[in-house]
Amino acid sequence: MIPAATESTVPRSAASHDWRRSAGLVIGWVGFLALWAFTSTVILDEFTLPGPAKVAAAMWEIVIEGRFADDFAASISKTFIGFGLGASIGAPVGYAMGRSRYWKAFFHDGVVGAGSIPGITYAVLALVVFGTGYLGPVIAVGLISMPFIALSVAEGVEGVDPNLVRMATAFRRSDSQISRHVMLPSIMPFVFAGVRLAFAIAWKVEALTEVFGSSNGVGFQIRFAFQSFSITNVLAWTLLFIIFMLVIERGLAVIERRIFKWRTWEQTA
Amino acid sequence: MTASTAAAPTQTSPRRGKIRRALTADWAARITFYVAVLVGWQLLAWQVARMPAPWETLDFLFRELTGGSQGGVVTGVFWDHFLVTVQRFSIGLVVGFVIGVILGIGIGTFRFVKSLLNDIMLVFLALPAVIWAFLTVMWFGLGWEAPVYTVILASFPFVAVNVAQGVRAVSPELHDMSDAFRIPRQRRLRHLMLPAISGYLFTGLRFAVIIGWNAVLLAEWFGSTNGVGWRARFWYDAARYRGFLGWVIVFIIFIFLLDGFVMRPLQRRAFRWRRDRDGGGDGDGTELTIDNVVVMGV
Repeated sequence: MIPAATESTVPRSAASHDWRRSAGLVIGWVGFLALWAFTSTVILDEFTLPGPAKVAAAMWEIVIEGRFADDFAASISKTFIGFGLGASIGAPVGYAMGRSRYWKAFFHDGVVGAGSIPGITYAVLALVVFGTGYLGPVIAVGLISMPFIALSVAEGVEGVDPNLVRMATAFRRSDSQISRHVMLPSIMPFVFAGVRLAFAIAWKVEALTEVFGSSNGVGFQIRFAFQSFSITNVLAWTLLFIIFMLVIERGLAVIERRIFKWRTWEQTA
Repeated sequence: MTASTAAAPTQTSPRRGKIRRALTADWAARITFYVAVLVGWQLLAWQVARMPAPWETLDFLFRELTGGSQGGVVTGVFWDHFLVTVQRFSIGLVVGFVIGVILGIGIGTFRFVKSLLNDIMLVFLALPAVIWAFLTVMWFGLGWEAPVYTVILASFPFVAVNVAQGVRAVSPELHDMSDAFRIPRQRRLRHLMLPAISGYLFTGLRFAVIIGWNAVLLAEWFGSTNGVGWRARFWYDAARYRGFLGWVIVFIIFIFLLDGFVMRPLQRRAFRWRRDRDGGGDGDGTELTIDNVVVMGV
């Protein structure tokens, strides 16, 4: 779960290794695009499967016209508000789960179940309860991210070394000092891993909820493209969505590595 | 459920300690959770006009199972739609699983294949199932093809990634040792490769099941004329929210039963050899950690 563990394990011929890896990467992408172009022109036709060039042109147009900025801003604001909502409820729940056996048993089925309930359930329920406004996606995101945040906080709380806490108490550190310098540093990595995962899931559920009922956002645009039978636009919006998601994911990973630099000694040990 | 919570304190002796212990036992906590969910649902139904109450939904489901009429629509067609969906789901799952296993073995065995497919797999993992549903509906129209292909396309990357991880988890030291002791290929496959891979294989299958179920529902919702997803949409379009919610509960119950009583035990069984290494239930691949619980194929 925690990255940076694999990097120290390649002492042998790292240069040739890197070279082969990037060669594979390039060939993989070129091959994929070539296969896509070949399928769209020779096997099928440009309408059934628009080629990479056509989809790229549509993506460029979406970005240039400013629709990308508008709809992504709408989707992101819903995701963040919902995520904040989910985290502010999920964190205390997770803390209770980590500290008490009763609450762990109480929330067990809910937390386990949340990962297996089809995403469509959240989307359509949000639509029925809140209609097609702003609130539906926000609540759906809150509901989906809550159990994941709770689970990662619970894992972190359980992972706190009781001996460290005992030692801190023996040296008469105050409660606030213990929670600030002992508890928090060992909980944070788990929380961060949970946040990254929950965010990836929340972002997809947000788009799905917009597909089912909304008047703006990425999901709405994908739905609109579907209803106007434009395969090109469905692909263009989807690729923009994925690029955006992977950029956020990578960004969070970089932040995570920077924050937890001090922890590396623990990984190698 | 409510009855058993009420009965719990009276069965035990009136001593407060025992009552307290019974009420805070793990099973009691779980039952309390379900009661709390039901109460929450009822409260929501009182607040939101469009939200049907629990008993209304159950009443509808009963009629959908046994027959009768609901707002002029003939009901009692539960098994027709359910079996159609399960059939599509199973076909898609089997094909997706096979594709995923082949790709996963390739990625896990050959470094070059891994670097070739790594990024593309990442994109496939990030693709929401609804996109596949849209594309397949536009390609194949309304029918059995869209749901089946959506299940295949949505589930195979998750199988491939897990199987690749399993192949890489086979210890190279044990391989070298088998070479040194001239262990025949067959025994090596049976005692070295299979135990190492099977756990990841079942994890991949479990992911595929959960993701495939969501995918089949989405594809049926947007492009089908029968099946569970279509029936839910039918009631939704008719603004009969109790019918719609009844089917949503079928979505959930089906996957809960399949995951809880089939997939998780299988996964645990496949990982059971790990137990004695890590000690006391840890590392058997099913404990309550975010890695094991989070699946969520959206």
